[in-house]
Amino acid sequence: MAIRHLLTLARRSQKPTRSSPLQIFRCLSTSSAAAVATPSSSPSLPSPPSPNFMIYDRLAESVKSKLRTFENPDPRFLIHNSPHPIITDHTPILSSPLTRVTTLPSGLRVATESNLAAKTATVGVWIDAGSRFETEGTSGTAHFLEHMIFKGTEKRSARELEEGIENMGGHLNAYTSREQTTYYAKVMDKDVNQALDILADILQNSKFDERRITRERDVILREMEEVEGQMDEVIFDHLHATAFQHTPLGRTILGPADNIKTISKTDIQEYVSTHYTAPRMVIAASGAVKHEDIVGQVKKLFTKLSTNPTTASQLVAKEPATFTGSEVRIIDDDLPLAHFVVAFNGASWTDPDSIALMVMQSMLGSWSKNAGGGKHMGSELAQRVGINEIAESMMAFNTNYKDTGLFGVYAIAKPDCLDDLAYAIMYEISKLCYRVSEADVTRARNQLKSSLLLHMDGTSPVAEDIGRQLLTYGRRVPLPELFARIDAVDPSTVKRVANRFIFDRDVAISALGPIQGLPDYNWFRRRTYWLRY
Amino acid sequence: MYRTAASRSRALKGRAGSRVLTRCASSSAVASKTSSGGFLSWLTGGNSSSLPPLDFALKDVALPPSLPDYVEPGRTKITTLQNGVKIATETSANPAASIGLYVDCGSIYETPISFGSTHLLERMAFKSTTNRSHLRIVREVEAIGGNVTAAASREHIGYNYDALKTYVPEMVELLIDSVRNPAFLDWEVNEQLLKVKAEIIESSNNPQHLLLEAIHSAGYSGALGNPLIAPESALNSLNSTILEEFVAENYIAPRMVLAASGVEHEELLKIAEPLLSDLPSVPRPEEPKSIYVGGDYRCQAGTGTTHFALAFEAPGGWLQEKEAMTLTVLQMLMGGGGSFSAGGPGKGMYSRLYLRVLNEYPQVQSFSAFSSIYNGTGLFGIQATTGSDFAAKAIDIAVKELTAVATPGEVDQVQLDRAKQSTKSAILMNLESRMVAAEDIGKQILTYGERKPVEHFLKFVHEVSSKDIASIAQKLISSPLTMASYGDVLYVPSYDTVSNKFHSK
Repeated sequence: MAIRHLLTLARRSQKPTRSSPLQIFRCLSTSSAAAVATPSSSPSLPSPPSPNFMIYDRLAESVKSKLRTFENPDPRFLIHNSPHPIITDHTPILSSPLTRVTTLPSGLRVATESNLAAKTATVGVWIDAGSRFETEGTSGTAHFLEHMIFKGTEKRSARELEEGIENMGGHLNAYTSREQTTYYAKVMDKDVNQALDILADILQNSKFDERRITRERDVILREMEEVEGQMDEVIFDHLHATAFQHTPLGRTILGPADNIKTISKTDIQEYVSTHYTAPRMVIAASGAVKHEDIVGQVKKLFTKLSTNPTTASQLVAKEPATFTGSEVRIIDDDLPLAHFVVAFNGASWTDPDSIALMVMQSMLGSWSKNAGGGKHMGSELAQRVGINEIAESMMAFNTNYKDTGLFGVYAIAKPDCLDDLAYAIMYEISKLCYRVSEADVTRARNQLKSSLLLHMDGTSPVAEDIGRQLLTYGRRVPLPELFARIDAVDPSTVKRVANRFIFDRDVAISALGPIQGLPDYNWFRRRTYWLRY
Repeated sequence: MYRTAASRSRALKGRAGSRVLTRCASSSAVASKTSSGGFLSWLTGGNSSSLPPLDFALKDVALPPSLPDYVEPGRTKITTLQNGVKIATETSANPAASIGLYVDCGSIYETPISFGSTHLLERMAFKSTTNRSHLRIVREVEAIGGNVTAAASREHIGYNYDALKTYVPEMVELLIDSVRNPAFLDWEVNEQLLKVKAEIIESSNNPQHLLLEAIHSAGYSGALGNPLIAPESALNSLNSTILEEFVAENYIAPRMVLAASGVEHEELLKIAEPLLSDLPSVPRPEEPKSIYVGGDYRCQAGTGTTHFALAFEAPGGWLQEKEAMTLTVLQMLMGGGGSFSAGGPGKGMYSRLYLRVLNEYPQVQSFSAFSSIYNGTGLFGIQATTGSDFAAKAIDIAVKELTAVATPGEVDQVQLDRAKQSTKSAILMNLESRMVAAEDIGKQILTYGERKPVEHFLKFVHEVSSKDIASIAQKLISSPLTMASYGDVLYVPSYDTVSNKFHSK
């Protein structure tokens, strides 16, 4: 506006220049100001005495020559792309190899997706058990077990086991989360049977040698130190502890140090016999595997599993997780950056609205200083954060559990901008209840669809997907159905779901570091709704 | 795929003129169709449909026929355009495609005036072009949910676009535009220069990186001695004009490869050819020479820990495939890693350095073999981190380990077979990923002029004997030593002392 004003002033002052000597001064001064401010329109202006006289004239000249390169875009490069997200039909690319599932009489499920052209395969066991099924006194057992399971069986010593895997050039991995435990091997096609044999052996015949247990305590305590150094792990542990206080989901996966020092062989064995049961396990394989072969091998190998029909959902129903609006603040002014998470109670795995929450997560997006998008990203939260430089990084997250979930934003920032950042985050989250644009939803849908498929890069992510989906949904959701569910999310769905999970709901906050400037709990709670539309 | 492209171009033809307007019109039409609802429904979203829970199948979803279990893996097809640009593709059954534009240009082509250009070019990737602003690029990538990345090394720069197969035309167009027509706006260049400087300050926290950089600058005279991460002094003189000149000189047709994994060859050719065929055909200049000389670098920083690296020249480089593959096996054989690292069996716990060093000496924090192989030469050595009072001893251990593998009969068959098997499976497991596959196509074509099938390399790995290992290790340690140390370097023995330990034997 100011520039336009200057311009009109300059143009107007052009005419009376010759009429009165007094105005000459004014004319000169305004026109030079206009030339600096709007270099591109200078041809129509009276040019200053010598165009290269002042340094800013020369600068303006160079900027102008730069800008001139944009005047003639090459149409060849502007045929296909559009910055406006549109809905595209993906049907032709959504056919994938069949996921075959066989349920054995013991209740054990075997699921495979074959790609016989591959030369490698991933085969693993996904178990519907994790740290939330422990008791208060033995929390940490599931994770301890994950360590102990590679430490030798009746048939193999730990060394034989490790050498067996290394000699075939394979990898054996394990991880424990709050609700699931996974053991999987990535091997060459010819070694699949041997990998299955090793998995069956460690799951059914592990010795849990007392001396090994004692030695492993130190390893786990050292791992605990490492984890405590990772801020993101720490802050999400605290978030669970406060949001799900007094429920099993609030406990950490590693367990308290006291438990790690006292967990006994009996604890581990009892955990295995109660939770590693056939109906709660899925053997998933992908890559160079044949379904019949895997089923045959599994029938032969997994014979000693308990067939206790208790399902994980029954256990969850006995001890459900309840969300409590609350907060944890750990003030540590010695840390350079403040970390904080604000979360709402989210949806469970099977909740039909969980897909809408995924779209909403994608709408809020994520941002970091080094991301290529800078200030230009589509997410308005990312724009606010980027333009105002109020955070180092920011990430929306959506975690699902069997009976609940967490939806929110995690941010890292310098201590002096926490209030602005908190405002931006709460404003953008609660805006989802009121004002949702079609373009934002479409973009988020496209991004969600792509990220789900782009993630499937290799045999291990595919096996992981099969295993996880069979445990959480009881089936593998076909891609076209998943895409149809994503496409069913429109602005009105987003508003309805936001009204269900965000509007006037309690929040859980976890903050760590120099957080004196972070607003108090009631400030956050108040900003879960607007008093205007 | 074709259908959507056709319908889009029809929409364009219908309203030729202002493209942006067309887009707005079409998306608002969609909006009015889906969100027709009653009074106040905009507020509560009350009219949105509710679907069955996720553990129940959605009805009325047409499932396409599933793919057979065996889909013939696509062969690599290569077309060379008139001006020398190569376009290579490989099909896959995966629903996503990865397309990369690889240029034979890296820090080895830099001159003292342009030091740091490669690093800066990597950061300037996918910024404003003469046809589209940075904002537009970011939004176009977001509109299809793709991922764009750029990576620069000493010999190559790669620009990669990863997205669903449906969007191949969009991907190709944006990728080629951002590589061919960068605008290098002053303010964007300056912004990235600041970020590069911040990155350099941060990289002092990463001694591994620093040592690798030091090994190159000390070990080579000539092109490979150029810094990949330029010192701040060099960055201060960089600007958009230097970048423009560097790009004009190096991004020429015969030095470019457009490589794609998961795309039909004809489809890619149809879109890419008009965008690439008018690049001027300039004869490809010879690669700048590098001479390995060996040398010493040390930098005192902090106390308590010492990081050091010992390296030798690996003659041949990628162009001598047998040597290159033997070297890879040797690296697997020596292996090593950190004294405390997560992960189950399979990370090389039975490699020589693990068994003989990390399990024996608790003072050693990390100890591993490394190699950097280039077209005509390469480096191989050991990198380690120890407490500073143990540094001298750790260097002795490294000398002992390197001379040991050069002694015939020292490496037994079990170890060698394990290393060979690990090399083979590592190659195959990496190639599972379409992004790795696209990069492999691109870089192989830049190096060899063709894509060699993976079996070709596996055969070399298979044929490696313990004699080959000993002879390549002997060749290694007979070249001059390159030594670099960082941290508390007070107790690191002098270059001559260490060098004599190798050459007196």
